[in-house]
Amino acid sequence: MNKLSTKHLLGIKNLTKQDIELILATADNFKEVINRPIKKVPSLRDITIANLFFENSTRTKLSFELAEKRLSADVINFSASGSSVKKGETLIDTVNNILAMKVDMVVMRHANAGAASFLAKHVNAKIINAGDGAHEHPTQALLDAYSIKQKLGTIKGKKVAIIGDILHSRVALSNIFCLQKLGAEVLVCGPTTLIPRYICALGVKVETNLRTALEWCDVANMLRIQIERQDIKYFPSLREYTMLYGVNKSLLDSIKKEIVIMHPGPINRGVEITSDVADSKQAIILEQVENGVAVRMAVLYLLAGRN
Amino acid sequence: MTLLIKSAKLIEKGSALNGKTVDILIENGTITEIKSKIAAAKDVRVFEAKGLHVSIGWFDMQVNFCDPGYEHKEDLLNGTKAAAHSGFTGVAVTSNTNPPLHSKSEIEYVINKTQRELVDVYPIGAVSKNRDGKDMAELYDMHLSGAIAFSDDKRAVADAGLLLRALQYTKNFGSVIITHCDEKSISLDGKMNESKTSVSLGLKGIPALAEELMVARNIYLAEYTGGKIHISNVSTKRSVELIRAAKAKKIKITASVNAYNLNNDDSALADFDTNFKLNPPLREKADMAALQRGLTDGTIDVITSDHRPEDIENKQVEFDHAANGMIGLETLFALAYANKGKLKLQDLIEKITIQPRKILGIKIPKIAKGEKANITLFNPDLNWTLEEKKIFSRSKNSPYLGGKLKGKALAVYHNGKFLVC
Repeated sequence: MNKLSTKHLLGIKNLTKQDIELILATADNFKEVINRPIKKVPSLRDITIANLFFENSTRTKLSFELAEKRLSADVINFSASGSSVKKGETLIDTVNNILAMKVDMVVMRHANAGAASFLAKHVNAKIINAGDGAHEHPTQALLDAYSIKQKLGTIKGKKVAIIGDILHSRVALSNIFCLQKLGAEVLVCGPTTLIPRYICALGVKVETNLRTALEWCDVANMLRIQIERQDIKYFPSLREYTMLYGVNKSLLDSIKKEIVIMHPGPINRGVEITSDVADSKQAIILEQVENGVAVRMAVLYLLAGRN
Repeated sequence: MTLLIKSAKLIEKGSALNGKTVDILIENGTITEIKSKIAAAKDVRVFEAKGLHVSIGWFDMQVNFCDPGYEHKEDLLNGTKAAAHSGFTGVAVTSNTNPPLHSKSEIEYVINKTQRELVDVYPIGAVSKNRDGKDMAELYDMHLSGAIAFSDDKRAVADAGLLLRALQYTKNFGSVIITHCDEKSISLDGKMNESKTSVSLGLKGIPALAEELMVARNIYLAEYTGGKIHISNVSTKRSVELIRAAKAKKIKITASVNAYNLNNDDSALADFDTNFKLNPPLREKADMAALQRGLTDGTIDVITSDHRPEDIENKQVEFDHAANGMIGLETLFALAYANKGKLKLQDLIEKITIQPRKILGIKIPKIAKGEKANITLFNPDLNWTLEEKKIFSRSKNSPYLGGKLKGKALAVYHNGKFLVC
């Protein structure tokens, strides 16, 4: 088995367990590559990849671009904020323009759920979802799984708590699908206003008490509070959010075991985690970033079908 | 023109001929003879209806023809053609035009524009000026001009006091107020039903609660004022229960359901099909079953199509940005028939013929000698495919395109006009 069961990477939902394992195993090889003195391989030479970022992104965009360049692909970048696109060109027109440019693969981030699957239906290129609204962010979930595996040796049987704004988070959803497929137990924790009412139907535990969640888990994945996605007030103030759901060093130290702290970035230092936690040896936040490049190289390589 | 319809099975609850196969002779728009066999005179057009059923002309009390204002999606004349070809001889059109149907001028425009058509078009006036939920529109003036009912359409009247006064005010002249129920402070900018599916699609959910709170509120308002209220777009189990309980208390309310809410649950959205983006949203299987029970026991009086033409620019976009609604006249009967459960055919027909007219206070046609002919000929068991090129509606936004359906109208006669669908 060295082929994915799917033509696009729209979400973890559409991947099999074997697909995920194949991506993680392939990422191992690329991780070795990017630690060589010469970090570039010719795997995707002559393949053109368009990075379409309709929503702001720093690390995901850089990570994809780096992964593409290390694979020797030709890269074009398109960035536009949601509002300017809304006023002018529609997504379908943008798509048609890309089609005309003979692009082989498209990496897209978009503010609306389902945008990647919309693209896949209308464009004859391989689509990689780099985040669509509050739906999925599959490469983030894959790199998170890769990082957990690297740190703990295995994912099966591990307990992962996802803490924060679950309602607006594509990272949470992709992580839930990915970790469950790999045999981990998942718990979500946050204020009830930021936890979707029917999330239990996905087979996750729900916990509103942070300490209980931390005591339960092996890994805590801290999500950023996405103020920009909140159309109304879901909690009174950031200060009060931090009182209830902020992780600080003294809280971590008071828990009897050492848990792994993850964060998809960007961190709001002092809100969901304090600096001493973010910079502690328990945190693998920078390893996540490094692994992100390897995982994205694996995804691009496997979808390009050159193997 | 003289028309002889041969061998059609009559479906009309309460008629002595109900269930019988009859020949019907229509001369200059009037039924001049109806009996088991009528010999065809010379120069009479004969329509062989063997295997077909005949009922009173179908009526859809929630149709949007987008005219005035959005004629690129649909207009009144083309809309009536689409209705006739789908088996309808009467429709009530919603107030969400531009300008909205909120004064005498727009009401008269709709009536004047459609008065020569086979299909009767009854305008529903807005409850509030500009449909903005603030000040009452000139309801009496619109009533005099021919507004058949009042509704702000899909903009639920949030201000309970406004609805209360409108109910009191319209009692004077007997008009019904049609209310879509949606508590906006709960539903916010939800895109689909709040459920397991909305969680796994990352789409904002519309809780059933948003509808049910307002259904409950409107029942209280109906009870308090004694005014006539019709609850449209019923989509949840609890709404059905609330209406059932209210009817048991003899509160004057009636209710309708859209055919799509009977036919699909929200799992239809798994691939973000914008043609299934609807208001009310598709709910869950338990809701579908409750709606069906509501139809069977009479809690829900009417089935509507909620016909909403939308152009491709509003549908071939990201799900969040897509407009709500589908065209529905073409598929109303097939969807309703496929989901009738224990409802008898004659009762289903009643919900798309007699009941909507009764609620709106329109004279109910009869299939009897001496009556004006207003009939639909249909075959409930005909298998057919919804093909885009055969759709008369200007917009083609149906999720059922290419779908296999069962049950279809084949001809209509009304206002002296005969049309083979």
